Amino acid sequence: MSQAVTPSRAQVPLVGFVGQALAELGDAVVAVERCDERRGVARIDAERTLEVAKKLLAMDGSRLATATGIDVRDGIDVLYHWCFEPQGVVITIKVLAARPSLTLESIATHVPAANWIEREMHDLLGANFRNHPDMRRLILDDSWPEGVYPLRKDFDQVADRPPLPPVPPAPEEGVS
Amino acid sequence: MALKNWALRKSLWVYHVNTGACNNCDIEVLDLLTPRYDIERFGMILVGSPRHADVLAVTGSCTRQAQPRLQEVYRQTAKPCVVMAIGSCANAQGIFAESYHMGSPVDETIRAVDPDAIIAYVPGCPPKPEAMIAAVVKAWDVINTL
Repeated sequence: MSQAVTPSRAQVPLVGFVGQALAELGDAVVAVERCDERRGVARIDAERTLEVAKKLLAMDGSRLATATGIDVRDGIDVLYHWCFEPQGVVITIKVLAARPSLTLESIATHVPAANWIEREMHDLLGANFRNHPDMRRLILDDSWPEGVYPLRKDFDQVADRPPLPPVPPAPEEGVS
Repeated sequence: MALKNWALRKSLWVYHVNTGACNNCDIEVLDLLTPRYDIERFGMILVGSPRHADVLAVTGSCTRQAQPRLQEVYRQTAKPCVVMAIGSCANAQGIFAESYHMGSPVDETIRAVDPDAIIAYVPGCPPKPEAMIAAVVKAWDVINTL
């Protein structure tokens, strides 16, 4: 996942529909990692997430399928997967939320489909999304402590489990 | 209590609690109501409230979120009652035992509220409907000894 092994833009020729779409994103793309007939993977400038999302959303037939969060050495890699249904193409846009802030601009303000998946990445990995419209807890339970992120690499699934929720208080005796 | 236990042997009403199951066990519970198994001939029906129920049919691995809710549902069930832990997940959390979001297994969760609870274990992934009927029969045997 280090930058050194990432092929530069010059090494992957921009071909076909995927190449056209990636070319439209302009210099926000810092590296194209894959550009095939039906699949594209590109890393973009972390400061320009929202701009890229707006451009992709404006393209014909595009929709945000989902996003993936990966805990990597340099931070949290956020992968937005955009589908282009008419062409049968998936383009993955990689953004690195760098340590120590792990913060990215939220695209949920303009792409509502990203709302819940950004909340989920915040819950499970601790990625922060600036200007997210509704950053409440989504999938962890109510008794889960703040600041514990179960899908981080340094979280042990058994040893690091927080204490279990308490037994709810018993009802008063004799009340019918 | 003896009279209540005697009454519990007839026409068990079942409340179904899903504590994070994948739905496969729930489908098998549903099979019990179809004409092939037709548990209504034994007077058993699925009811919509734990306050009407004699049996809690618990499926799922009991996640952290479900754990206090299951305890609350057990408290609201009219006693005496039988808990059926249906499926590998409900028995011992199955393949999810070592994942971060698990509460305690269903039997421990219930025993934290009532140490004397009658718990029938139905292993399988998912268990056959015949196994669930067998579990009810065994629960009857236990009630007879009380």
